[in-house]
Amino acid sequence: MAEPLLSVEDLKVHFFTRDGVVRAVDGVDFAVNRGETLGIVGESGSGKTVSSLALLRLVPPPARTVGGRVVFEGTDLLTLPTKALGTIRGRRIAMVFQNPATSLNPIYSIGSQLGEILLWHEPITRAEAEARVISLLTLVGITDPAARLRQYPHELSGGMKQRVGIARALLCNPSLVLADEPTTALDVTIQAQILDLLADLRRRLGMAMVLVTHDMGVVARMADRITVMYAGRVCETADAATIFRAPQHPYTRALLDSMPRIDHRYTGGARQVLPTIPGRPPNLLDPPAGCRFHPRCPDAIADCRRILPLETEIAPGHTVSCIRRGSQGIAA
Amino acid sequence: MGTLNYIARRLLFSACLILGVSVILFALINAIGNPIEILLAERPGVTEEIIEAVTKYYGLDGSVTDRYFTWLGNLARLDFGTSIIYNQPVGDMLWSFGIETLKIQIPGILLALGLSVLVSTLAATRQYSRTDFTVIAGAMLGHSLPGFFIGILLILVFSYWLGVLPSYGAYSTRNLLWDSEIADGLWHMVLPVGMLTIFNTATLTLLMRSSLVDVLRQDFITAARASGLPERRVVFGHALRNAFIPVLTYLGILFGLMLGTAPVTETVFTWPGLGALYIMAIQQLDYPLIMGETMVITVMLVGATLLTDIAYVVIDPRIRLG
Ligand SMILES: Nc1ncnc2c1ncn2[C@@H]1O[C@H](COP(=O)(O)OP(=O)(O)OP(=O)(O)O)[C@@H](O)[C@H]1O
Ligand code: SF4
Ligand SMILES: [Mg+2]
Repeated sequence: MAEPLLSVEDLKVHFFTRDGVVRAVDGVDFAVNRGETLGIVGESGSGKTVSSLALLRLVPPPARTVGGRVVFEGTDLLTLPTKALGTIRGRRIAMVFQNPATSLNPIYSIGSQLGEILLWHEPITRAEAEARVISLLTLVGITDPAARLRQYPHELSGGMKQRVGIARALLCNPSLVLADEPTTALDVTIQAQILDLLADLRRRLGMAMVLVTHDMGVVARMADRITVMYAGRVCETADAATIFRAPQHPYTRALLDSMPRIDHRYTGGARQVLPTIPGRPPNLLDPPAGCRFHPRCPDAIADCRRILPLETEIAPGHTVSCIRRGSQGIAA
Repeated sequence: MGTLNYIARRLLFSACLILGVSVILFALINAIGNPIEILLAERPGVTEEIIEAVTKYYGLDGSVTDRYFTWLGNLARLDFGTSIIYNQPVGDMLWSFGIETLKIQIPGILLALGLSVLVSTLAATRQYSRTDFTVIAGAMLGHSLPGFFIGILLILVFSYWLGVLPSYGAYSTRNLLWDSEIADGLWHMVLPVGMLTIFNTATLTLLMRSSLVDVLRQDFITAARASGLPERRVVFGHALRNAFIPVLTYLGILFGLMLGTAPVTETVFTWPGLGALYIMAIQQLDYPLIMGETMVITVMLVGATLLTDIAYVVIDPRIRLG
């Protein structure tokens, strides 16, 4: 297999708060190959957003990336000088944000904020930049793009704003797009359109994508490979078919069990209650020793409390971190 | 709704506001009673006939409405009448004292604006650092000290101890600094402008820092960074302009209340400005002067509000021109 486009090794991002150190991301590994979509799933608070921000060194204080490597096309982004990082951000790796209402600057027109990015990165004229912005707005399915240039974010609907957000990410033809819950803030009917658009663009432009979500349904539809996160660590990574047909990690199984299904019979009348994983995600100020999932794990044994499982390849392209599935571990 | 249309309507509204104030002012002044009686009653040898004659001389014998419209008509022609005490045209006095006030107030606001942008950017981009805490503490202190106290402190240090700056007046009466009127004038401006700058900077910095901290947390800032824009563009181009929106109101108030804060500054530094003039006018019941200056203050306040509203439209596209 060829070198991956991006490989994240032992990434650690901690929040240094008044109450102590919150180990939000604590030793995460994953890789993205050229042209593929990697889905990252996990419950709320599992560290998906923090991980994806850390790739471009965007974690806000009081968080700090305290360890690991983020190797993109052969260079470690975590040690790159700021100036060189600026030629990666927006140009080679771009981001699509969760909330289109807050991720566009309210006081600049669409044309000026997208144009600014192009003009910064590329030696082109204003007119060329404008033409490029128009062609991208067209590409993401915005009608009458020339008129939109002069509009402000508040004049567009949520779905339109997210299309603009996607166009912004694609301005410089990046080889990787990081999309953090790009549809969560949108109406259900719009969500499907935006997902289709992303899938279509990814294919046509041949870029790779990291799609962060807590929705198994979304990754089922979009991802080539899937990484499952829990409490700041990776549980399991495999191609999508394997994750859905033969999940190994108990947490992956629990997540799949909690997915709504067409054949599922809900109880509870009008207010349909989805099955959820019993227990709560751990407090990352003081995570459980050993496997972080052990307090909620149906398969837990005594050793799980003291051995921290490490990601171990159990089949080609399939890694799991569970001592009961053959993973190595280190004793606490 | 077009911007011009909006401005036109705001202008009309402002005019009504000024008219309203003029009515209230006139009513209040009249409620005090016949000024001639008040001014002359205590003096020896003043008879009823004299009071009547003087009242007639100043045109104060007509009906209230007649007098109001005469006064308003004169105002419209910028004729503010004659000062009773100084026996000079009020318009000329307001003009020459006004220039002195603007000379210290405008630099005091503009310098404070520049300084506070600088300082609050320094602080907000290093939130919770030592720099940030120092800035907050300094601004809090400056904000909570009364203006006159800052002024007296400045005089104590620079005039009394160091003896390098003049503590009163706008000009030297003899021995001009470097024999130049301009140099001498600037030399005298330093302390009053310094006091206003310190006072305004403190409040503006507190406002701007917290606003900037809020904006820097927003998604669109992370998005701008993720787009590869350099930090200085993110901060100055994207964050600062947004952070400025809530500060604008206060800036408008500063400009509008220039004359409201002037009395303190001008008293501390014996500065020949409108503030000092207003106090004298009130103490000596110089009716034309009080009324003229009150109208000037009103116009400035309303004008500043109008400009603030227009600035909002320019800076923030989300404002609905309703
Ligand atoms: N400001 C903060 N202070 C302390 N801890 C924080 C802060 N922000 C986030 N965290 C920690 O980081 C962890 C991961 O947060 P993150 O936003 O990455 O989760 P997520 O997987 O993206 O969840 P979601 O699905 O809700 O977006 C949280 O569980 C929390 O413990
Ligand atoms: S290591 Fe133990 S607790 Fe953790 S997932 Fe595997 S079985 Fe469960
Ligand atoms: Mg998130």
